Amino acid sequence: MARILVVDDSQVMREMIIACLRGEEGLSFEQAGSGLEAIEMLSLGRYDLVVLDLNMPDIGGVEVVEFIRAQDQLGDLPILIVTTRGDDASRQQVMAAGATRYVTKPFNPEQIIGEVRGLLRSAQPAG
Amino acid sequence: MSAVDLKTFITGYLAEVEEHLRMAERNLLEAERVEAAGGSSARQVRALFRSMHTIKGLSAMVGVEPVVDLAHEMEAALRVADRSGTPLGGAVDLLVRGLRAVEARVRALASGEAVPPAPADLIDALAALGLDRLGAEVGDLGLPEDVRSRLGPGETQELAHGLARGRRAVRVDFVPNPSRAASGLNITAVRERLGRLGDLVKVIPMSVPRSPEAPVGLSFAVLMLTGAADAEIAEAAGMPLDAVSSLVGAQPAAAPAALPPPAEDEEEVELRGEVVRVPVARLDDVLDRLSVLVVSRSRIARAVAELASRGVDVGALSHVVQESTRHLRDLRAAIMRARMVSLAELLERVPLIVRGLSRTVGKEIKLDLDAGRAELDKAVGERLFPAVVHLVRNAVDHAIEPADERERAGKPRAGHIRVACHERGQSQLELQVIDDGRGIDQAALARRAGRDEPRDPEELLALLTEVGLSTRDQATTTSGRGVGMDIVKRVAVDQLGGELMVATERGRGTAFTIRVPLSLTIVDAFCFHSGERTYVVPMSMVDEIVELEPDRVHRPPALAGALVGLLDRRGEAIPVVDLEAWFARRPAGGGGRKAILVRRRGRPLAFTVDRMLGKQEVVVRPLEDPLVRVPGVSGTTDLGDGRPTLVLDFLALGGQVRAAQGGP
Repeated sequence: MARILVVDDSQVMREMIIACLRGEEGLSFEQAGSGLEAIEMLSLGRYDLVVLDLNMPDIGGVEVVEFIRAQDQLGDLPILIVTTRGDDASRQQVMAAGATRYVTKPFNPEQIIGEVRGLLRSAQPAG
Repeated sequence: MSAVDLKTFITGYLAEVEEHLRMAERNLLEAERVEAAGGSSARQVRALFRSMHTIKGLSAMVGVEPVVDLAHEMEAALRVADRSGTPLGGAVDLLVRGLRAVEARVRALASGEAVPPAPADLIDALAALGLDRLGAEVGDLGLPEDVRSRLGPGETQELAHGLARGRRAVRVDFVPNPSRAASGLNITAVRERLGRLGDLVKVIPMSVPRSPEAPVGLSFAVLMLTGAADAEIAEAAGMPLDAVSSLVGAQPAAAPAALPPPAEDEEEVELRGEVVRVPVARLDDVLDRLSVLVVSRSRIARAVAELASRGVDVGALSHVVQESTRHLRDLRAAIMRARMVSLAELLERVPLIVRGLSRTVGKEIKLDLDAGRAELDKAVGERLFPAVVHLVRNAVDHAIEPADERERAGKPRAGHIRVACHERGQSQLELQVIDDGRGIDQAALARRAGRDEPRDPEELLALLTEVGLSTRDQATTTSGRGVGMDIVKRVAVDQLGGELMVATERGRGTAFTIRVPLSLTIVDAFCFHSGERTYVVPMSMVDEIVELEPDRVHRPPALAGALVGLLDRRGEAIPVVDLEAWFARRPAGGGGRKAILVRRRGRPLAFTVDRMLGKQEVVVRPLEDPLVRVPGVSGTTDLGDGRPTLVLDFLALGGQVRAAQGGP
């Protein structure tokens, strides 16, 4: 079972993302409503993938990614960024900080399923 | 494969966008207020930016492009303001227009109409805002490097302004660990708890070496502006005292002393919990369906009674009718409960407000809040809360004396304010705001209003609700807002159909009492004929039904209008009102032989009735909005004939009649 942490300050957005992925086998979901909560959960638990919103009230996605990549044990964690039109500058910043992939809102379910599947496959240890 | 239609999230979308719009409006107004007072609006700008960003993202997901366009332009302007620390200044008006435009489009979507495109001129004006002037230069605050480099210009500015106003900048280090997390003490909870003690400026996650104290190598540095004591802060964070430290050693010397600390209007604290949001309209719909059941139940009961009168054995049938009566009652109660909010929750913010106010005016206040366990209808609660806040504000601001003055008067230095509520019977809430302050100077109040000194509490109240409780010559920070006691009266009496009372004693204190209905719904009522019509009146309003024996009704010549006589009853002269004449349906004097007697503020009044029809449980359907009622008519009901019957409010009618006669 792959554990996915969905981070967005909008509850509806988190629900939408999970609704897109729910039909997939072998995935379980947890949610964080802020960047700080995400950092705390990632420090305390083990996750296989993070779906991360870029703009959040306390600390933004860029800071979350910077923090994650500064941790030894989280160095390889796949991070899928969800951005919105107009976020281009922040998107470049977050990719430079070490995010793995991104999708842009509005995304369709197939897009996000494809990204998540791809990230989980490539993160799997060979053999 | 998953066939997820994101449009199914439209209800959640609407609720969340609505919430963000309300928040954005508050923040915009607050930004304007703060800037006008010479403060930094950085916090509000950041929150506004966040709201617009969320609205944009959500709208993109559900495909509402006009809203995406508007939110995008507003977000872009606010992003620039946030990053450069630029005040909003004159941009507020345009941003308000933007919010209105978003709101109009979201409403259109909600009601299933076509969403109009974003107005091009508004988009252009927003795009041209250019909120990138550099904000006021902030000098070196002497912040430690690990903190300084993580703060944006807005956050630095907010700290500088806070320090300049004499608040402390404090750093709290919260270290998460599994056992804290298991007991619910996580960064989200800590942030919320600390947020009640001051303004959080920034929370910075920091990597720390792993140790028994920091098993996961993570610590959060919470930076806040506060007036709270270190011990209180440490306790809220669930950390030892040494986790709290001053962020800045010495405060900047050139602190502008003229600026008062911001009034901590924590009326805006967000209330969240494990709740399902349901549009009130949906509950009303359920109630409507229930009312149909109530009506058909009465018809069955009537049919059963008729069968019985023909000698049919209806034992089993009546039993079923009784059972269904009980079930309907339970169901009604359950639906009404869903509309209810607990008073404790409604008044939760009062202590914070009092704390903020008392600090602003520099008085010591001890608040005693007893919300009891009463619950009241959401719509009533929403109207009532501002009235309560106003009464509390007045108490802090005007009633409670400065500590020295209190001491001289032999009172404890700290003023005492008590807010107490309890249910009166099944349907009324009594709420009191009592202070032990100086009492109302009635002579001064009367002089100010250019009137005679009030002779009784009713006259005092009339005076208060006319000129506002401002017996001091200068409006003060906390209540000099042009909101007077007239607002309290309008809410409690005119909107909610309740009562407002005052009792005061010089040097001892003042008590205001508000009585409002807990909800407006199904009531036991008397049905009667007057003129050609049938009316109902809630039984709770009726004191007695009396015979109008001609030799007991006196008709003094001075009577006018609908007032047709004085009923002599056990030595009391009770004014008799011809209901039909009052409604201008016929000339006065043709009224019936019975009357319904009501007492308003202890004074009796009788309304003529042609024929009493009996009592019945009725569902009151408010006329349009229950809170914008026609005085004297609280709604309509269906007695089973499919026609609307007016539900009369004799107490309000009595008030009108008295007013028409020139009395209070």
